[in-house]
Amino acid sequence: MTVDALTPWPDTVEWRTVSPKLITVELIVRWSWTIILVAGLVVGLVLQGHWLWRLGIALVVLNAIWRSFVTVRAVRAWGYAERDQDLLVRHGLVIRRLSIVPYARMQFVDVTAGPLERAFGLATVQLHTAAAASDARIPGLPPAEAARLRDRLTTLGEDRAEGL
Amino acid sequence: MTAAGPPPPTLPPEAAVAEPRRRLHPLSPVLHGAKSIAVVVAALSWQTLSQVGLERFALVVLVIAVAVVIFSIFGWLTTGYQVVGRELRISDGLLWRRNRAIPLERLQAVELRRPLLAQLTGLAELRLEVIGGGKTEAPLAYLTVREAASLRERLLALAGRPAVAAQPGDQPVTAGAAAPTLERPLLRVRNRDLVVSQLLTPQAFFLPVGVAFVVLQFVMEGSWTFVGIASTVTAMAGVLLQPVRRVLQDWDFRLARDPEGRLAVRYGLLETRSQVVPLNRVQAVGATWPLLWRGQGWLHLRLDVAGYAGEGGGDAKRSDRLLPVGEFATARGLVWEVLPGVDLAALATSPPPRRARWLNPIALRSIGVGLTPEVLVTRWGLLTREMHLVPYARLQSVRVVQGPLQRWLGLATVYADTARGRSGQAKDRDLAEAYALAAELAVRARQARTPEPATPEAYWQSPAQP
Repeated sequence: MTVDALTPWPDTVEWRTVSPKLITVELIVRWSWTIILVAGLVVGLVLQGHWLWRLGIALVVLNAIWRSFVTVRAVRAWGYAERDQDLLVRHGLVIRRLSIVPYARMQFVDVTAGPLERAFGLATVQLHTAAAASDARIPGLPPAEAARLRDRLTTLGEDRAEGL
Repeated sequence: MTAAGPPPPTLPPEAAVAEPRRRLHPLSPVLHGAKSIAVVVAALSWQTLSQVGLERFALVVLVIAVAVVIFSIFGWLTTGYQVVGRELRISDGLLWRRNRAIPLERLQAVELRRPLLAQLTGLAELRLEVIGGGKTEAPLAYLTVREAASLRERLLALAGRPAVAAQPGDQPVTAGAAAPTLERPLLRVRNRDLVVSQLLTPQAFFLPVGVAFVVLQFVMEGSWTFVGIASTVTAMAGVLLQPVRRVLQDWDFRLARDPEGRLAVRYGLLETRSQVVPLNRVQAVGATWPLLWRGQGWLHLRLDVAGYAGEGGGDAKRSDRLLPVGEFATARGLVWEVLPGVDLAALATSPPPRRARWLNPIALRSIGVGLTPEVLVTRWGLLTREMHLVPYARLQSVRVVQGPLQRWLGLATVYADTARGRSGQAKDRDLAEAYALAAELAVRARQARTPEPATPEAYWQSPAQP
């Protein structure tokens, strides 16, 4: 198989990756939840002392370690490309998705940043079309890049829009 | 709240040509009240009827109905609509005032509904479909039929014009609206066919079984109370009477092209619906060949119009029929009419590669995708065969999705999203082919978008039948 699901059209499309800082953000979120879960299990272990609690802790930690590796690869797999007429977004490792969204079909653009994302200087850009199924979300963009992308998308959308 | 009502405070300066704010028909509150009786009866249930007796039951229903009428009168006093430039403004609300402006260029379809009571009183409800609303926005209930029809003509005329031509106070539009329009009839579904087609549904086959079950139950228990039977019948009616409902709904189905080239659909017995859809608002067309209809060679055509997407309540509530039942030749002619250049008989599709049988062990041969110059064709289903036609010009986005099993087999699924929400789906294609298909779709969608949308005149001069 010569075609890779993660990098279609490698010779014609210049793929851009998202900021590696997104890895840190995702890991912090994952491990925060893991710590909360493990804390709960430890309380159970202290109160009751059954070996199943130890097994539970081990499983949670192992799962978190495994998912951390996946997260690192998943963030690296996230990519987007701006072509003349459309925006390409690809993401996902287990289920690989590629979206092609023409600028002309854009209804509105969202730029969002949660508290943790803001702390690391990241933002998420999402492009909405009239189809609910369209899926063009790019997380982990530096604010400057996010603003540039937003402005570019809205400008291109205005140029090429024709309603529906 | 005075009867005249102040003009909405948000009037822009260019709305100098605005006409006065208009009211709904004065009978509307009464109709709303009458409609609420059915709801109230359903809510109180048969059980209550048996407990409190018929007289008190009727009294309760009457009191609630009168309360609804009084409430509706206030609603009626505060509701108004007006056409301002290229917008329809509707203001309503008693406690929470709402002024809604609907840009008419975003209008997808307009439907005129006449429930039984409205038919008796000569009124109609006008429903506008716009994108983005979760449900039908702005139902104007009720207007006189004449008023509703002329308003619809006007709105559609305003919606169809390009923005440049929209000059305030354009006379021909308003003048032409009142004149009766000359339509070109396309098709009329015979009621006999409709009844037969609904008898050939799973529900109709189960109906005798259900009735036998009810009768048997009462014979066994020996308790023949009116309330008991009534409540059981009501409970079963929801599912088993669907064929009957569809017959009533699709009764006397007529299809025509109006002089502007729009599609005019009319149907219904107890509640008549008359829907006008501009052809460039058709997002997709679906064809279904149910298993039980194969003997007759019948099929069903569905029209996807954006705006109906969010409307729940199953297919009964929605107005998306293009052909409730018909023969292939009829359907072929209709598809040619709605999507010019698309011949239903000449839609070749290719199946996915053989290794996809691991994912579709039974129905592999019934899956397929094909590209014609105008539409993306996808088909699926072994027993109930379905086909979905998406014009390239209506594509919103293209997606390629590959699950873990598909990755193992080197397959991927391509989705072609439309504003209706139901995507064209090319399942389990070879990965390289999937990417090529996605790229091809993107290119064709762009090419289809680039030329100016065809003028209504171009639709009117429809191409020759295939």
